[in-house]
Amino acid sequence: MNLKLREAIRRLWRAELFSPAGFVQRALVISALFLLVHLAGLREYTSILNGTVGPDSAGWAGSAFLGMTYIILYLAFVILAPMLILAAGLLAVWQRLIRRKDRRVQTAKPPNPAPAR
Amino acid sequence: MNACLKKMAAGLAALTLAGVLWLPCLHWLFARPVSTFYVKAGVSPAARALAARHLELWSDPQRRQQELDRMRVSNAEWDFMGRSYLVWSLANLGLRDPAMKPACLETMDRIIAETLQLEKEKGMTFFLMPYAKDRPYVVHSARSLFLDGEIALMLASRRVLEEKPEYQPLLTDRVNLIVQGWRRSPHLALESYPDECWTFDHVVALAALRTTDYLDGTDHSALIRDWVAMARKRLVDPKSGLLVSSYSVDGTPQIGPEGSSLWMIAHALQWADEDFARDQYNRTRRELGRTTLGFSYAREWPDSWKGPPDIDSGPIIPFFQISAGSSGMAFIGASAFGDDQFLDTLKATIDFAGFPSQKRGALKYCGSNQVGDAALLYAATLGPVWEKVKAGRKS
Repeated sequence: MNLKLREAIRRLWRAELFSPAGFVQRALVISALFLLVHLAGLREYTSILNGTVGPDSAGWAGSAFLGMTYIILYLAFVILAPMLILAAGLLAVWQRLIRRKDRRVQTAKPPNPAPAR
Repeated sequence: MNACLKKMAAGLAALTLAGVLWLPCLHWLFARPVSTFYVKAGVSPAARALAARHLELWSDPQRRQQELDRMRVSNAEWDFMGRSYLVWSLANLGLRDPAMKPACLETMDRIIAETLQLEKEKGMTFFLMPYAKDRPYVVHSARSLFLDGEIALMLASRRVLEEKPEYQPLLTDRVNLIVQGWRRSPHLALESYPDECWTFDHVVALAALRTTDYLDGTDHSALIRDWVAMARKRLVDPKSGLLVSSYSVDGTPQIGPEGSSLWMIAHALQWADEDFARDQYNRTRRELGRTTLGFSYAREWPDSWKGPPDIDSGPIIPFFQISAGSSGMAFIGASAFGDDQFLDTLKATIDFAGFPSQKRGALKYCGSNQVGDAALLYAATLGPVWEKVKAGRKS
């Protein structure tokens, strides 16, 4: 089981960008990064949206950097990550249909005629 | 086409289709019934949670100071307006839920006492932006209608919730200063900053006058009528039909109609002239309110007026022209005029892009600040004070 899981993670990690696994991988990375900044408390710095500095003594530049980092990752998490998961599903279905169609074409092909003498 | 390009094209097509499917559904994650924010009677869950956070803040001097300091770095006015909106909200909240009345009264008194003390000790410019000191005031020396009007409405709101005899002379003095100033000014224009008169501050002052009439049996109705007549004649932008935001003492418009002022102007005008107020709300809604993919927001400027982002509008997001300031204040307009559909979708937007944070029943929007949250609390509670004033003389 452990080996299978490790293999699945390895395959996911090495997946091509424009593949179902590649899309899932990117969605997971975005989610993990968002979780990280969320747990780090960067949500507080989104006050820069209305021109207010963040808590503590972060100052303007620090608040803007931390706030923008959070906002970008949040938007990626709620907009891009679900799109990537949906796209992965759509792409997987499409690839399966193509493969099935190819198999049908192959099985429907007439046997090679006997070579002429 | 080689295999790699084919894969890329298929991937991009899948992403595009996913976007087409996901984006129109996104607002469902944040959509809640409008009753979670505003209810006609009782207290909505959002109002209770926002109030809990503010009451908590006013019982913890250190945290309160931190919050106020953060705002004062950008704008000292926000410190003052955060107090005003909170006091006005608590008056409504106390009327909505008698169980909350003692806590509301205690906090209102604390805010009023501290605000008056600061005004006395540090002068009115403590709550104004630095340019208030750049040149002398034209009509009134050392008086700002911004402070006088809002403080008068704070005192009056407190007395509507429960009479406090010590506040009666304070309110009378404040109202008399406003009335005397208006009578001296040929265009009924009082400055908030040197030669800068704000429509917002004038309509708040009108609301204070009307509430004083309810409390003390005075009659400022003629003055209120005169001001509304003057505003209809001189302060309406001819292209949009909206009230301009600021004008000079001689009545010449300075800053055109801006969303961060207009939603509150329309609401406060209800105290003075309900038809004019409704007309201003409808126009503001049409010119500035927008809904995209189930999310509502507000622009700062109508199409007919080009203006820059400023401290009131907050940063303006290009293309959509979304203004954080105007969108926040739009809640007040939508609540005051019973525009449930707009309110519902505005709420979806703030839950999506306002970064709510709820801890132990206390709610704050991280993307906002104390004054923004206090304005939201006001939007979630407004009604009862105005209903009492409208119903007539206090018995």
